[in-house]
Formats: sequence, C-alpha cells, structure tokens
Amino acid sequence: MELDFTPVLESWRYLLGGLGLTLLLSAVAALCSLAAGLLVGLGRTYGPAWLRVPLTFYIDSMRAIPVLVVLVWVYFAVPLLTGASFSPFWAALAALTVHLAAYVAEVVRAGLGSVRAGQVRAGLALGMSRAQVVRVVVLPQAVVRMLPAFGSVLSVTIKDTAIAAVIAVPELMRRSETVAGQSYHPIEVFTTAMAAYFLILFPTTRLVDALYGRVAHLGRS
Amino acid sequence: MTLDWSIVWDSRWALLDGAALTVLLTVLTMLVALPGGLALALMRLSRFRILAVASACFVELFRNLPLILVVYWAFYVLPVLTGLELPAFATGLAALCLNVSAYNSETLRAGINSIRRGQMEAGMALGMSRGQALREIVLPQAGRRVLPVLASTWVSLFKDTSLVSVIAVGELAHTALQIRSQSFRVLEMLTALAAIYWLMGYPQAKLVDWIDRRFVVTE
Amino acid sequence: MMPGRTGSDAPPILAYEDVRKRYGGFTALKGVSLHVNKGEVVCLIGPSGSGKSTLLRCTNGLEMIDGGKIVFEGAPLPTTPAALGRVRRRMGMVFQSFELFPHKTALQNVAIGPVTVLGMDGAEAAARAMALLDKVGLQDKASSYPSNLSGGQQQRVAIARALAMEPDVMLFDEPTSALDPETVGEVLSVMKQLADEGMTMLVVTHEMGFARRVADWVVVFETGAVLEQGPPEQIFDAPTAARTREFLGHLGWSG
Repeated sequence: MELDFTPVLESWRYLLGGLGLTLLLSAVAALCSLAAGLLVGLGRTYGPAWLRVPLTFYIDSMRAIPVLVVLVWVYFAVPLLTGASFSPFWAALAALTVHLAAYVAEVVRAGLGSVRAGQVRAGLALGMSRAQVVRVVVLPQAVVRMLPAFGSVLSVTIKDTAIAAVIAVPELMRRSETVAGQSYHPIEVFTTAMAAYFLILFPTTRLVDALYGRVAHLGRS
Repeated sequence: MTLDWSIVWDSRWALLDGAALTVLLTVLTMLVALPGGLALALMRLSRFRILAVASACFVELFRNLPLILVVYWAFYVLPVLTGLELPAFATGLAALCLNVSAYNSETLRAGINSIRRGQMEAGMALGMSRGQALREIVLPQAGRRVLPVLASTWVSLFKDTSLVSVIAVGELAHTALQIRSQSFRVLEMLTALAAIYWLMGYPQAKLVDWIDRRFVVTE
Repeated sequence: MMPGRTGSDAPPILAYEDVRKRYGGFTALKGVSLHVNKGEVVCLIGPSGSGKSTLLRCTNGLEMIDGGKIVFEGAPLPTTPAALGRVRRRMGMVFQSFELFPHKTALQNVAIGPVTVLGMDGAEAAARAMALLDKVGLQDKASSYPSNLSGGQQQRVAIARALAMEPDVMLFDEPTSALDPETVGEVLSVMKQLADEGMTMLVVTHEMGFARRVADWVVVFETGAVLEQGPPEQIFDAPTAARTREFLGHLGWSG
C-alpha cells in the first residue's frame, strides 16, 4: 500500500479550519447541553407531575432516536414547519443540544439520587427549606459525583460533531470528506483525521479523570 | 405547505426492509463484539505484558474516535488491507464491531475487577486452574453484574447503526433519506424516520430500565 | 523430633524449613520452621500481622515464598500452575470470608470441586455433596443460596466444600474471625468433629479455647517469626517466652 500524504499537506489550512470549527461547535454544544440538561434533570427529579411526565418522555425519546436523525430533522424539517431557515452550524448546535441534554439530564438524575437520604434529613433538621437543601447540600455533592459522566459528555459531544458532516457543517469530518473526494487519497486523508480526533479526545478523557481524582473526596458521604 | 403522508404508507416495505437491516446490523455486531470484548478484556488482565498493552492500545484508540470516521475509514482501508472486494455492508459492520468491542471490553474488565479476589482464590484452592476459576466463578458473576451496562450499550449500538448510512448501506436511515430525495416529501419522511426509530428504540430503552432495576447489585 | 508429639515416627505431612516471604520492603516471614504430622491439629496463634495467614497462603501456593522450603507429603511445593493445581486438590482451604460462590446453591458449591477439578459425574458429586452437607448439619439448606444463609452456615458449607475434594490436610485461615459470636460455636464444633476423626489440620485462629482443647501442637507467631511452639499445656499454662505470656494476657487469657 503506497501512501501519499501530499493532498493532506496541500489542504492543511482548509482542514485546520475544519478542526477549529469542530472545537468551537463542541465547546458551545457541550455548554448548552450541560446547562439545558441540568435544568431538565432538576425538573425531572423535583418538578411537579405536569412537568415530570413530558420531560421523562423527552429524555426517553432521545434514548431511542439517533443523533443523525435529529440532525437531519432539525436542519431539513424545522424550516418547513416554521418558515425560518438556519445555517448548518446553528441547526447542528440545536440538534446536538437537544440530543445531549437528555443524556445530561439522566446523569443529573442519577447524581441527585445518589446522595444519601440522610443528608437531606440532616439539612431539613437544621431548618433549611427543601430548595435550600437541594442547593446547599445535595447539588454540591451530586455535582462532584457527576463529573466523570460530564467529562464523557464532552467526549461524546466532540464525537457527535463529526456526524454534523451529514448536514454539511464545515467541520473537520466534512472537510476531510471533501479533500478525500477531490484528491482520490481517502486513506491518507481519513487517517490524518483519525489522528487529529484522537489527539483531541484522548487528553480530554484523561484530563477529566485527573480532575475527578482531585475532587472526588468532596462528594463522598 | 401541504403534507402528503401517503408516501410513508407507500414505502412501507422499503422502510421495513431498512428497519430489518438495522436490527440485523445490531445483532451481528453484538454477536461479534461480546466475545471480542471478552477476549480484549482477558488480554488486558493477562500476565503477559504484550497482550495487555496491545489490548489497551486497541481499546483506547476506538474509544477516542468518532464512529462515523471509523466507518468511512474502514470503507476505504479494509478493501486495500485485505485485497478483497468488500461490500459496504461488510465494512460498515466491521467498523461497528471494532467500536463496540472496545466499549464491551472496558465494561467486562470493570465487571471482572469488581469480583473479590477471594472468589478466584477459593476456586484455585480447590485445585482449579486460573482458566477454570475464571469460567466457573468469576465470569458468571461479572456477566450478571454488568448486564445493565451491556444492555445500555446495545441500545446505543442500535442508534449508531444509522451511521453506516453514509457509506450507502441500506439500513433504515439510508432508506428513508433516499425516499425523501426521490419523492421530495421531506417533512413526512423525516418525521416517519424519527417515529420508526422511536417505535423500535423506546421499548428497548424501557427494557434496559427494567434490567437495571432487576439486576441491582446488593452486597 | 519433639518428644510427646503424636505420629512422630513417620515423616511429617507438612514441613516448613526456614521459610521466608517479603512484600516489597516488608518482611512477612523471617525464617519460619515447623512441621505438621499426619492426624495432628496444629494451631497458629499470635497478633495480627505476625505472618500466620501468610504462611498458610504460601502452603497452597496462593503466595510464593522467597526463601526456605515447604515440603508436602515428601515433595517440595511445586511452582508451576498445573502442578500446584494437583497439589491443591490434596489440601482443603477454608477462608475467613467464607468465599462461597454466590451464584450457586449450597449443594452446587460443595459439588463444584469434584465436578470441575476431578471430572466427577454430576450425580455422583451431588450425592457426595449431600452426604457432606449432612455431616456439617446443613442437609436441609442444600438448595439455598449463600445470601440466604447465616455466616456460620456459610462457613460450614465452605468446610464441606473443601472436604468434598477428600484432602489429606485442611488449612483454616481464621475461620471464625468474621462470625457473630453466636455462630462461632457451630463452626468450632464441626472443626472439633473433624479433628476427632483424625483429619490433619493447620488452623490459624484467635480462638484460644479451641486451641487449648483441640490442638496437639501450638505455634506462637510474632512479627514473622516463631516465638515459641509446643503442646497446648505448655503454651497456655506454662509458656517459656515472656512475650507469649504478654500476648495471652492481652487477650484476656487467664488459663
């Protein structure tokens, strides 16, 4: 197998631009998913029934429907329904957030549930209101326990941005496809893309593991 | 905007075929990725450093790559590597197997490590070899323990099969998107696509919840 | 040969010659020498961390020694897994944490050794297992899972499981330390019964009453070495080493 990496080298600026967009989309999508997922998770755990039921339905539905399908539906179908059109980037951001927030919400629910009931009782016994107990006693401990899962949310987000290629978001995956198609050297191009993604993802998961190791004791009760 | 849902009904056989292929891909992948994951886990836990390192590298590689990229990569690389004319289905399946084996390996490894060392020692004290003790005592317990996680991996895999649509494998997503392009019934087909996935995936997700409750570890 | 030891005209079934064992910088066994004759009950006593359990685990190769020799039935302990496996069939081990297999019933636990290791026919193994459960008084618990048995019951099943292999020597690693006081007695009486039947037993224990009444020979350990060894009358009533007296005193032993 003869390998010729010159097409990769010739398009390095183009590919680097794609990498930049991958990182941007990942960061923004992760933040939005974490924020939205936290709210949904709190609503699912502590909310009234009229809130819990639709939220549970939403979360369970995202467990059934692939990201690809959500991406395609948001980009192609929503404009038809609402008349508004958006760029691939914003469609991808919306779709990724909708899909990932459900996952984050489940992480939040599990984290909140893992704090021992005795902790809640202790807070109430001190005279705190339910809301204060959640804010001051439960949430801080739960957040620490959720950190490893949050770290994997970041990892999943970065991997899911690659799927945004199917709706032509000009991130790394899409641009790699383009270069591969034009240069007739798909193996070299995709191998380079693999190296790039690995170099982003591997440290991300390691970093989260390391951070968790430092703060784990704060969440033990 | 006028909606014409009859396109969904008219394409029902094609969609059914696509759904069947989705299920087939899921089943075949798991059939390979469960023993594959077990082999990788045992290699990682073995006394021979070279096996342990090789397994660790494989697992770390496939856990840190987007599956869609692996699908593309497999599509182009595998025919060259093997010298065979491989259909897209085969390369797509290969990509799924590589990916899920890596995840299963981590799951099973954690499960095996969670079984107290004393169990292994008790088996060996009776005269069992390490292999016998693993087979009779550790793996049955580890398997039971990680069943909820494996079930969850199954559901993720079911969704991930949609990614082989990018190399034109005729599973559900590809089929629906094709019909959409040909009929221009965008909203109807995309909604139908989401709905069919929901119909197949929602019960699976609920089953996973049931498995979670049923197999709660009490120790 | 020590005077007064039973069976002292035949070679010992188990002999430890200057056995040493290190874990990194820590020396767990500093040259231990003792032997066990056929049919004897030898009790190893001493403070925690003094090396008694380590010696037991080296006896059936769960740990490897760094120096000295362990001789079992005339042959040095092998080091290869296959040969060790064959030796382990002739030694029964009972663990402090019972280590019953939770996914199998009591009967299956007792039968698993003969079936898996000896290749015995399932029905024959089940019959042997039932007889042994009967022997330890648990025949009505044969189809119970370990999670439904008390600690004392689990340990008795564990003893039956070890006996199912028809070993030449039984190794007990603090068999009653993890038990509620109420259930200690039922396990000790099974062990006494075994001793009366002539089983060779090497027992690491904190149960001084048991050692005093049942042992033929007592070895006192301290920080990885043998402090003193002799018949129970000597160790408990007239110890020669002052540290033995101290140790027994700490345990509240008043003779």
